[in-house]
Amino acid sequence: MIPSRLLNRRTINRLRTSSLSPLPRYLTSSSSPSASSTTRFSTDAASHPSNRVQIYLSHSTDPLLNLSVEHRLLQITPPDSTILTLYVNAPSIVFGRNQNPWLQVNLGRLAQIAQNPSAAGWNDAAVQLVRRRSGGGAVFHDGGNVNFSVICPPERFDRNKHAEMVVRALKALSRPNTRVNERHDIVMDVASSAQKATYKVSGSAYKLTRLRSLHHGTCLLRSPNLSSISGLLRSPAQGYLDARGVDSVRSPVRNVDVDNDEFKDAVVREFEGMYGEVQLRDEFDDTALQVEEIRKGYEELGSKSWTWGQTPRFAFSTHPTEEDPRPRAELPFDLKMRLVANHGIIEDMDIKHSDGAAVDGLDASVFHGARVWEVDDWAASLARAGLGSSLSEEAGHWLNHMFGTEYTSL
Amino acid sequence: MASIACSLRAVRPVAMRFAPRAAPVVRMAPLRSFSSSRMTTSYISRMNINRKTNQCPPSLTGLARKYTKDHEWIDLSADRKTGVIGISEYAAEQLGDVVYVELPPASGEWTEQGDSIGAVESVKSASDINAPVRCKVTHANALLEEKPATINQVPEDDSAGGGWIVKVEVDEEGAKQFDELMDAAAYKEFVAE
Repeated sequence: MIPSRLLNRRTINRLRTSSLSPLPRYLTSSSSPSASSTTRFSTDAASHPSNRVQIYLSHSTDPLLNLSVEHRLLQITPPDSTILTLYVNAPSIVFGRNQNPWLQVNLGRLAQIAQNPSAAGWNDAAVQLVRRRSGGGAVFHDGGNVNFSVICPPERFDRNKHAEMVVRALKALSRPNTRVNERHDIVMDVASSAQKATYKVSGSAYKLTRLRSLHHGTCLLRSPNLSSISGLLRSPAQGYLDARGVDSVRSPVRNVDVDNDEFKDAVVREFEGMYGEVQLRDEFDDTALQVEEIRKGYEELGSKSWTWGQTPRFAFSTHPTEEDPRPRAELPFDLKMRLVANHGIIEDMDIKHSDGAAVDGLDASVFHGARVWEVDDWAASLARAGLGSSLSEEAGHWLNHMFGTEYTSL
Repeated sequence: MASIACSLRAVRPVAMRFAPRAAPVVRMAPLRSFSSSRMTTSYISRMNINRKTNQCPPSLTGLARKYTKDHEWIDLSADRKTGVIGISEYAAEQLGDVVYVELPPASGEWTEQGDSIGAVESVKSASDINAPVRCKVTHANALLEEKPATINQVPEDDSAGGGWIVKVEVDEEGAKQFDELMDAAAYKEFVAE
């Protein structure tokens, strides 16, 4: 049996501030031989039945790494154990398993930020785009947002239980005006002289498997990018795209204005209060990638076939259709275009003149089977399909904007 | 599915009352005790439909329906070579509004018992649907792509408009695993626990 890896709070605080410096191997013990000294993430300890309450702090700011370690913990921790993980990600948009990134995200803006941040008025690292394994909507993460994650047995799962835990932590940090709302989000009621307003400060998503359930959530503490979030999560294709799957619910957001480490400490305290003695406290960083299964999960999560190819069926149409009768703005070119894609792969493409007449020389069937995320330039593709040069330029340029090719071709 | 089902138990204990609905239940002897006029009606209407198409309803030739602890059901054909899989009324109720169903491709590959054969999303939760027995997916219910709420309405209906999820091929091992699953009465007891 692996002796409990106990570590007191003072040690944790010390380690937290020492960030990326090598951590002492205080965790290894003779009875856990393969808790290898080359990696700081120990699969053996995480899966050991005696470690029924575990707490992890991440030193990585890579959203793919943090989500992949979390996913591995969901798979290997003992069935009756409860696991808390806290992590902060570099700027990223993390969207739900069954969402459509072309609909949820302003991809053009992501490309501007990546290519010319100062011109885009962006003073942070480039924004990564990540499809997570859990359900729910699209959220923004950055260094001023702390993510909490609780893995527990299905029979103890409750969508509000750990959001309430975080609310207690916030209340302990003198934020009495926080509460869990009917959408299982944490909101803050703010009363000014004239009116009362409610802002979302934390959103949650869940992943439920046969043996384990995962609840993870964000908490906006001191995000420097608060005012940019709304624009990042607004797609130019919204008025043309009809998507199956899950939409996001827009909410006004706000920072709680609490220090990251104070928040982490307060959440750990509440978690300890709920689950008692903690048998394993551990930390991990990017070296967790040395664990093969974590690396595999990381690669899958970062793959284009997951990010784009997991997209539920959608139809993009420049004109009202029976299924999507919304009125459309008039286009500056004489074409009607409709595209249907499943898993991001084009199943049907129809291009006609605005009056419904066929376009001479055009064979839109060449698009069938193409991956939407691999179309780097619609103008060139339309020209190859036989569309005249000026029309293919105009329509192609517009489609590039709609499908964010500037970003997908990066 | 176990997860969701159990999760809300504490919150909504009343919801555990087993509420059988419509067609799928009727043909199974153990479930007859639940009979209601609703079932009878839909049974008859199903018979009519089947008479029209001159086909014997597959479910009437089946052995029975069995349930897993994860709240999936499976109908096995009389020759024990094919089956239909879905999630139980109980699970559907616990999940809440299903907004998306991820269907597996008919990949021609065998899935082991307990491994995922799809997923549903409801109330921000992605939940796995697991294979009740070793099986190979031959058809997925395309209706669920368009109308995921069908799972909430008729989760145990294995007919054309029903909320069944996949049709599968079953081998000897799968058929043996089927025998170990709970029948309707045992499952009813299990969810009432």
